[in-house]
Amino acid sequence: MSELLRLWHLFRPYRRWMLGGFAIALVTLVANVTLMAISGWFITAMAVAGAAGVAMNYFTPAAIIRGSAIARTAGRYFERLISHEATLRQLAGLRVWFYRHLEPLAPARLQQYHSADLLSRIRADVDALDNFYTRVLVPVLVAVTASIGFFLFTALYDLHLALWLLTLLVLAGVALPWLTRWLGAEPGRRLVETDAELRRLAVDGTQGLSELLIYGAADAHARRLDAVSRELIEQQTRMSRIAGLSQGGVGLAANLALFGVLWLGIPRVAGGELPPPQLAMLALFALATFEAVAPLPLAFQHLASTLTAARRLFAIVDAEPAVIDPPGPSPRPAHHGIEIRGLRFAYSGADRPALDGLDLDVPEGQRVAIVGATGSGKTTMFNLLLKFWAPDAGELRLGGAPLADFRGEDLREHIALVSQHTHLFDASIRENLLIANPDATQAQLEQACGTAQIHDFIAALPDGYDTWAGETGVRLSGGQARRIAIARALLRDAPILLLDEPTEGLDAGTERALLDALRVLMAGRTVLMITHRPAVLAEMDKVAVMEQGRLVEQDTHSGLLRGERYPRLLGLDAIPLKHGD
Amino acid sequence: MSARDLLKAQQPLAARWLKLSVGLGLFGGVLIILQAWLLAAVVDAVAFAGAGLGDVAPWLWPLVAIFLLRAAVAWGGEQTAFRAAAAVKLALRDRVVRHMQALGPAWLAGERSGALAEDLTRGIEGLQDYYARFLPAMTLTALIPLAILLVVLPLDWLSGLVMLFTAPFIPLFMILIGQGVEAVNQKNWKQLARMGAHFLDVIQGLTTLKLFNASRREADVIARISDDYRHSTMQVLRLAFLSSAVLEFFATLGIAIVAVFIGFRLYQLALPVPDFLAPPEISFFTGFFVLLLAPEFYLPLRSMGTHYHGRMEAIAAAERLVAILDAPLPTRAAAPLTLPAAAPLAVRFDDVHFAYEPGREALAGVSFDIAPRQRIALVGPSGAGKSTVASLLLGFIAPTSGRVLIDMHALAELDLEDWRQRLAWVPQRPRLFVGSIAENIRLGRPEADDAAVREAAARAFAADFIEALPAGYDTPVGERGAGLSGGQIQRIAIARAFLRDARLVVLDEATASLDPASEAAVQRAVDALAAERSMLVIAHRLSTVRDADRILVIDGGRIVEQGDHATLSAQDGPYRRMVQLLEVPA
Repeated sequence: MSELLRLWHLFRPYRRWMLGGFAIALVTLVANVTLMAISGWFITAMAVAGAAGVAMNYFTPAAIIRGSAIARTAGRYFERLISHEATLRQLAGLRVWFYRHLEPLAPARLQQYHSADLLSRIRADVDALDNFYTRVLVPVLVAVTASIGFFLFTALYDLHLALWLLTLLVLAGVALPWLTRWLGAEPGRRLVETDAELRRLAVDGTQGLSELLIYGAADAHARRLDAVSRELIEQQTRMSRIAGLSQGGVGLAANLALFGVLWLGIPRVAGGELPPPQLAMLALFALATFEAVAPLPLAFQHLASTLTAARRLFAIVDAEPAVIDPPGPSPRPAHHGIEIRGLRFAYSGADRPALDGLDLDVPEGQRVAIVGATGSGKTTMFNLLLKFWAPDAGELRLGGAPLADFRGEDLREHIALVSQHTHLFDASIRENLLIANPDATQAQLEQACGTAQIHDFIAALPDGYDTWAGETGVRLSGGQARRIAIARALLRDAPILLLDEPTEGLDAGTERALLDALRVLMAGRTVLMITHRPAVLAEMDKVAVMEQGRLVEQDTHSGLLRGERYPRLLGLDAIPLKHGD
Repeated sequence: MSARDLLKAQQPLAARWLKLSVGLGLFGGVLIILQAWLLAAVVDAVAFAGAGLGDVAPWLWPLVAIFLLRAAVAWGGEQTAFRAAAAVKLALRDRVVRHMQALGPAWLAGERSGALAEDLTRGIEGLQDYYARFLPAMTLTALIPLAILLVVLPLDWLSGLVMLFTAPFIPLFMILIGQGVEAVNQKNWKQLARMGAHFLDVIQGLTTLKLFNASRREADVIARISDDYRHSTMQVLRLAFLSSAVLEFFATLGIAIVAVFIGFRLYQLALPVPDFLAPPEISFFTGFFVLLLAPEFYLPLRSMGTHYHGRMEAIAAAERLVAILDAPLPTRAAAPLTLPAAAPLAVRFDDVHFAYEPGREALAGVSFDIAPRQRIALVGPSGAGKSTVASLLLGFIAPTSGRVLIDMHALAELDLEDWRQRLAWVPQRPRLFVGSIAENIRLGRPEADDAAVREAAARAFAADFIEALPAGYDTPVGERGAGLSGGQIQRIAIARAFLRDARLVVLDEATASLDPASEAAVQRAVDALAAERSMLVIAHRLSTVRDADRILVIDGGRIVEQGDHATLSAQDGPYRRMVQLLEVPA
C-alpha cells in the first residue's frame, strides 16, 4: 500500500491531465450506455405505439441516439489522445526523476548492479509505471463514479434490481480484480524478474560473444537464454490464464445482470407495474453498464507488475548516496595542496579495511607517485579524494579546508582524472571532448588534442572531429583513447591532477609519446599518480609506497631503489633483467 | 526477406493453437446469436403476449447455460491465442540468438549491444499481439459477421443490406489510414532503440560524466530524448486513434441506421416510396433480435482496428530482427575438416592481408609460423595489427587474401568449433558472465568437477583471493566482475584457460593492468600454462616477451623484425629501441 501512496504522490504533478482523462472517459462511458439503453427503449416503444396505433414523439429519442453516438466516437478518440499524452509526459518526467536519483549513487552505490539491470529499470520499469495511470487510476475512478450513477438510475425503477446490479458490478469490479490480483501477484513479480534476467543474459551474450565462442560456451549460453525465455513464457502463460479468467468473469457477471432484469422485471411487466419498453431498456442498460468494470480485472493484474517495477525503482531512489553534500557553500581552498591524516576506509562486506590510517602530504605543485600492490588502497584513496566515497575516519584537506565541507561538484571543479579506462560516449569525438568543458572553442579543442598528440590522428579521419566514437564509432586503440582522456583533462584545466596508471597496457612507443603529453599536462599542477613504470617514477618529485592501506615509505625514486621493498614491488628483483648487451 | 515475410514464415509454428483459438471464437459467435434469439423471444413474449415468468422459463434456463459456456469460451480463447504467440516468440528468440552467435564478434563490433539486447527482449515480445490478437481477429472478422449476416438476411433483408453496405468501409479506412501509421511507427521503433542505446551508454559512462560534473547536465538530455520520443509516439498514436475513431463512427452509424429503420417500420410509419421499394414488414421479435445482433456484427470489425496496431508494432519489431537474420553469415567450408585429436597444431600465416574496410589494410602481407609448443610474442605500437592477427587465428575474421594454415590445412576449411576446442583465449578485458566464480572458470568445460576448478584457480594464482571471499567459488559475479579488481578478473580468465587445457593459447596483453608484484605471479602462471602448449602473446612488457621463443615485431600491418630477445636486442632495430624505453634509467 505504501508503494501505491508513493506512486500517487509521484503522479501528483500530472493531476490535471488525470482529471481531464477521467472526465472524458466518464462522458464516453455514459454516452455508450445511453445509446444502448435508448435504442432498446425506442424500438419497443415504437412497436408498442405502432401496434396500438397511438402517436409518439420519436424525434427526441432519435436525437439522443444520434447525440450519444457522436459523443461516444469523439469521446473515445480524445480520451485515448489525452491519456497517452499524459502518460508519455509522466514517463519523461519519471525517467528524469529516476536519473536524478541514480546520478548521486554513482559510482559507489551502483557497483552491485549490472548495467543492463539499471537499463531495464530506467526503461522497462519506468514504462511499467504508466500502467498506473492509464490502466489503474483512471479506470478505477470511472468505475466507482459510474457504478454509483448506474445504481441510482436503476433504483428509480426497481430497488431490488438496482441492488442486484450493484452486487454484480462489485463482484466483477472488486471481487474479481482482487482475486486476479491475488493470483497474479506471484507470477507478476516473477515476470519482471525473469524479464530482467533475460536482459542480463542478452547483454552478456552480445558483449561477451568472443569469449563464449572461443570457450565453446556459445551453445550453452544460447540454451541458458532459451531456458529463461521459456521461463518467461511460463510466467506469461500463468498471467494469461488469469487474464482469461477475468475476461470470462466480467462477461458472465454482465449476463447475470441481464438475467436479473428479466427475473425481477417480467413479473412486474406482467403485473402492469412496468411498461414493456422499460424492460427492454433496462435489459440493454444492465448489459452495457459492465463496460465500466470490464477494465478493472486487468487493471489490478497490471497493478501487481507495476508495483514490482515501482519497488525496483524505489530501491534505487531510496539508496543513500555514499557521500552526502554539506548544506552550506563550499570553502575556497587557499592553495591546491592535499593533506591526508589517519584516513580509514572499509568497503561494506570487506573483511579488512582498504585504507588503514593513511597519512600523506602533497604540497601544491608537487608530483607524487603512489606505488603499491593490488589491494593496497591506491584507487580507494583516489575515490575518497574525488568524494565518490566518504572516509570512515581521518581527514582529507584541500588547501587547508576539510574535504567534508566541499560539495562534490565544487570539489571536482578542482580535479581532473585520467584513468586506465576511458569511457567514450556514443557521440562524436568533439562531443566526447566537450564533456570536459562545454564552452571550449574548436581552437581550444585542437590545441588540447595537439598537446595530447591525438590531433593529427583525428584530423586525418574523414570526418575529423565529427567522427563518431563510442560503441558504434571508430575503433580507437587503448593509447588513442587514453590520449583523448588526456585532452579532456587539459580542457578541464584543473589545478589538481589524479592519474591512475595512465600508461598501463600501452606499448613502449605509445607510452613514450603519452609521457610527453603527460609532462605538459602535469606542468604547474599538483599531481598524484598511481604507476609502476620505472621510467615514469624517475620523473616524479616523490614516490609514496603503500601497503595494506598505509603509507610505508616515501622518498625519491632513486632513494627508494636503494631499499628492498621498492625494487621488489616494481618487479625489479622478481625476474632478473637480462640485458641484451 | 521483409518483415512481413518473417512474420508469415513463423505462422506454422502458431498454426495449431491459432486454429483452436479461431474455432473457439467462432463457437462464441454462434452462442451470441443463440443468446440474442432467446432474449428477443423472451422480451417479445412478455411485452406483446403478456407472458409471465413461468411462461418464458423454457427460454430462460438455456440462457443461463449459454452464459456459462460463453465465459468458458472467453477463457479458452485467451489461452489458445497466447500459446500461439508463445511458440513463435520462443523459437524466434532462440533463432536470433544463434544467428548473432554465428555472425560472430566481427559483425557485433558494428552494432550497439544495448540495441541488440533490446531486440532480443522487447523486440521479440513486440510480436506477441500479432499472433495472439491480430491473426485470430483477422479470421474471425471474416467469419462472425458472415455468420450473423446469414442469419439476418433471410429474416430482414433491409437490415442485412445496411450491414452489408456499411461494413466494407471499416477495413477500407483501416487500410488507408493504417499504411500511413505504419511508416511513422517504424521510425518510432527505431527511435525507441536509439533511446535504449543512449541510456545504456549514459549508465555505463556515469562515473566519467560525474568526474566532469556533466552528470547533471545529462538529466536535461534524458528529458529531451524522452520528450522527442513522446512527440514521435503521439504522431503515431494520433493517426492510429483517428483510424479507430473512423471505424467506430461507421459501426455506430450502422447500428443507428438499423435501429431507426426497424423503429420506423414497427411504428408503421408510411414512407413516401413506390410499392416495389417498400421496406419489408417486420415483427417486434425480428426487430429486437436484429438490433441485438447489430453491435455484435460490427464488434469484430471494430476490434480489428485495435489489433491492427499490434500488427504494426510487430512489423516494426520484425524489421530489426530481419536486419539481424539477413546479415550474411561468414562463409564456411561445405565439408569442414576435423583435425585428428593429437594434431600438432602447427600454425602458419601465409602472406595474410586483411582490411576492416576497403582501402585501409590492417594487415598488409603477414607471414610467420608457430611451431607446436612454441611461445610467440607479438609486439608493436597500438594499431599495428596485433589484435587483427589474434582475431584471424581465433576465426573471428577471415583473411581478405592469403591463408592461415593449421597443420597445412587452411583454417577456412576446418570445422571452426573443432578448431576452437583446441584454443584458449585470455582477452585484454576478460568478461565475467552472470553466475558464480566457479561457473565462470568452468566456461570452457562445464562438466569439470570442483577439484579441477580449484586446481585451475590455484595454477592461475587466483585460489587465494577467491577462497578469501565469504562465499568462495560460489561468489556471484557479473559484467565487470563487481567487487573484483582488474588483476583478479584476469586471473580468473587465466584459470579458465587452465581448465580448458587447450593446445594453443592466445593471450592479449594479459598482464596489462596488474601491479608488478601480481604481474610476476601471473607471469609464473603463464609460464606454467605455456609449458605444454603453443602460445601467441600480444604483449607490451619486457618480462612477458623476454622468454618467448620468438618475437614478432609488427608495425603498420607488416612484420618488421623477428627473432628471440637476445638476437633482437643485439641488432639496432625497432625492438631494441622499444626495449630501451622500457628499461629503468639507472
